[in-house]
Amino acid sequence: METIVRIPTPLRTLTGGADEVTAIGGTVREVIDDLEGKHPGLRERLLDEKGVRRFVNIYVGEEDIRFLEGLKTTLKSGDQISIVPAIAGG
Amino acid sequence: MTRPGVRALVVGVGGLGCPAAMALARAGVEVLGLCDDDVVERANLHRQILFDDDDVGSPKVEVAERALKRRAPNLEVKLHAHRLLPENAIELVGQYDVVLEGSDNFATKFLAADACALAGIPVVHASAVRWIGTVMAVGTAGRPCYRCLFEDVPVGDAPNCAAAGVMGPVVGMVAAIQVDLALALVAGEPVAGEVVTIDGRVDEVRRRSLRARAGCCLCGGQSSRIRQINPDAYASPAYTG
Repeated sequence: METIVRIPTPLRTLTGGADEVTAIGGTVREVIDDLEGKHPGLRERLLDEKGVRRFVNIYVGEEDIRFLEGLKTTLKSGDQISIVPAIAGG
Repeated sequence: MTRPGVRALVVGVGGLGCPAAMALARAGVEVLGLCDDDVVERANLHRQILFDDDDVGSPKVEVAERALKRRAPNLEVKLHAHRLLPENAIELVGQYDVVLEGSDNFATKFLAADACALAGIPVVHASAVRWIGTVMAVGTAGRPCYRCLFEDVPVGDAPNCAAAGVMGPVVGMVAAIQVDLALALVAGEPVAGEVVTIDGRVDEVRRRSLRARAGCCLCGGQSSRIRQINPDAYASPAYTG
C-alpha cells in the first residue's frame, strides 16, 4: 500500500526538495524502510537504535504514533504520515 | 480589545519576538517584559521588524522598548538585558502571567519549558527555520508540556535558524499564532496542548492537540521527574544556539 509522507523543510535536502513523497508499507516502520531505499539518510534522521528520535514526532493523520503503536502502527488506505522535528530559530 | 493587567514576557527579541512584542503592545497588555542579551545585527533586519539600519550595534531590548513605546505610550516595558539562565529563570518567569518563548537555541527552549512548569506559568513556545514554524501552547497546569512533544535536547543534526536561515514572512505568521495562543491562555480559553505547524512555502497551517505523555520527565507522574532547575542540564554544547 502506498502512503503519502509529508517531509518538513529541514529534511527536504534528502528528498531532492520534495515536500511530499510516497512510500510503500503496511506499518510506519515499513514505510520508513522503503523511504530509506528511495532517499538514503532519511531513516537515520528519524530513528535511532531505540526507535523514533526523541526530538522528532511522527504523525499518522492527526495522531502521534507514540499514542498509537509506535513504529508498528498499521496504516490504512488514505493515511498520511507527517514528520514534525524539533527546531530552534526565529 | 485591551488586556488590562496582563503581564507578558517575551524571551528572545528576534524574528519571532519583535512581531510578538508589537502585537502584544497593540493588544493592550499592561506590562511587557523583554529578555534578550543580544545586539541588533544587519542580518537581522529582514525579519526583526522593530529594528532599522540605525539600530545596528545597539542592544535589542533597548531599541525594542523605544519602538514599542512609540506605538503604545502607556505600555510598561521591563527590560531584561540578559539571557534566560538556570539561575534566573524561575524568578523571572514568575513575574509574569504568560511567557512567549521564541529563542533561537534549544537550551533556552528547554529551560523556559522547565522553569514555567515549575513556576506554574503558562508558556507558548515558537520556532521557525526556513519555511516552517512550530508553535505550542502550555497551560498553567503545565501538562501536556514541551517535553511531551520533544523529549530532550536535539543533538547533532537538528536544524537551527543560524545555520539554516529563516524566511521573514514566516516568522511573522508564526509570531501571530504565538500571540493568539498566549492571549487565549490568559483569557482561559482551552488551547493548552495545541500544537500548530506552519509551512510558509504552501501557506499551510495545521493544528493538532497534543496529549500528555505518561512518562514525560517534566509533567509525568514518575518520581524521577524534573523538580528543580539543574544548571548542568543546560550546559551541553548542544544547547547553545
